[in-house]
Amino acid sequence: MLLRRFGLTGTIFTFFFIAQEAVISQLSFPAGGFSLFLILTLIWAALSTPDVAAAVGFGAGILLDLSPSTNGPLGHWTLILVLMSYAIAFFSYGDENMRGNPLSIVLMVTLAQAIALASYLVTGFLLGVTATSFSQTLITIAGNALWTLVVTPLLLPVVVWLHDLTFDSRMRI
Amino acid sequence: MRNGGENRGRLLLVILIVSSLFLITLDLRGVNVLNGLRSGTQSALSPFQRAGNVVLTPVKNFVSDITHLGRTRNQIEDLRKQNQKLREQLISRKNQDGEIKQLKSILDLAGTARFKIVSAKVIAQGSSLAFTRAITIDAGRSSGIKKNMTVISGNGLVGVVKEVFTNSAIVMLATDPAFKVGVRIAGSQQIGILSGLGSSTANLQLLDNQTAIKVGDILLARGSVNAQPFVPGVPVGRVTSVSNAAGAVTQSATVKYLASFGSLGVVSVVVKAPKADPRDVLVPVKPVPTPIPTVTVFVTPSPSTSPSAPSN
Repeated sequence: MLLRRFGLTGTIFTFFFIAQEAVISQLSFPAGGFSLFLILTLIWAALSTPDVAAAVGFGAGILLDLSPSTNGPLGHWTLILVLMSYAIAFFSYGDENMRGNPLSIVLMVTLAQAIALASYLVTGFLLGVTATSFSQTLITIAGNALWTLVVTPLLLPVVVWLHDLTFDSRMRI
Repeated sequence: MRNGGENRGRLLLVILIVSSLFLITLDLRGVNVLNGLRSGTQSALSPFQRAGNVVLTPVKNFVSDITHLGRTRNQIEDLRKQNQKLREQLISRKNQDGEIKQLKSILDLAGTARFKIVSAKVIAQGSSLAFTRAITIDAGRSSGIKKNMTVISGNGLVGVVKEVFTNSAIVMLATDPAFKVGVRIAGSQQIGILSGLGSSTANLQLLDNQTAIKVGDILLARGSVNAQPFVPGVPVGRVTSVSNAAGAVTQSATVKYLASFGSLGVVSVVVKAPKADPRDVLVPVKPVPTPIPTVTVFVTPSPSTSPSAPSN
């Protein structure tokens, strides 16, 4: 059972990672665009227990760190996504008002995505990764948040279905 | 039981955080295995990126056609490639012209100011998550591309090869905030350092405060030791404004890059540097206004018989 869940989760995340790198990265969106992979990770975390969310965040972070377009050191995104996934699951787990409402999940994912990007930037600064100008950073974070707000409602039913398929559960959203 | 579960969860979280920090430490210490992992990922992703490019090109062309109201995208792409080729030939020709000038003036000094280039298609732009300005090109180690090679477009400097994989490479664009290049002003030959600002403009710091710099001056790459990362003589940008702050130790100016970073489709990597510094032969020629013929009308007064006597 554990092996099946692990295999399915790995396949889903790898598929989305390839889709992000091969398709989304090639399209020019206004104001920076969005990360399909990051949205998937955060929705998945919002639907999982904190333990599972942290483990999934670790795996997703490793994949994101291995992306050639990532400029930070290996482990940078891993650290951010472990903490962010755990936090998002910790706040939503057990709260059916939060989990049962798609609007709450969309808003939570958007906020978490913006915080994740800002955290990545701040920790990157501490680790010596050169960042762009403050105004450009603000535009990128705000643009990403806006795109996430648009894309998450479209992606949410798919992720919920995949999550149910993986964990043999019936999530009501 | 619940406490046990919570403790186990916290333990897992701590283990994962420590593992992440361990990975960061290993990477910052420059462990080669981790670089190999990224290289392997890029090699694995490269076919998907190519496939994505093939699949998305018609979609992008369709959107572009709609945007451009009927202009055929393929025709524009072909013309762009042709234009790029002609510009590269022009650069090469200018190198040869420069060589002839050098041979005429100094007979024992010969140099072939000719770039050997490998052209490549841009297959991906940098991720919006990376906060950097970079592109991925579809030529890599197998095409002779190495790290720190200069990348140019038909208009001038584009950037430097940052990472090389078997069939692809990542190019750090000149607009990246971490990008710095030593430049000289065409003509006066004064040197300075140009830094990227994350946009199509850059900041120039001159090393000598005595030099007069003016709007419109062209900047050329000064060149590096063994021509890496920068080959000498590549046009970089044009001065758009000069800052003359009183009491400033050095002069600074704002420079607009000559390359158009918004429409990079095909770029060229300089795989072999010119043997001689081409100096200013690559300076873009200013457009010469077409002379308008002036019609001059000479009016000759008709001779009068008696200038003092009024004619009736």
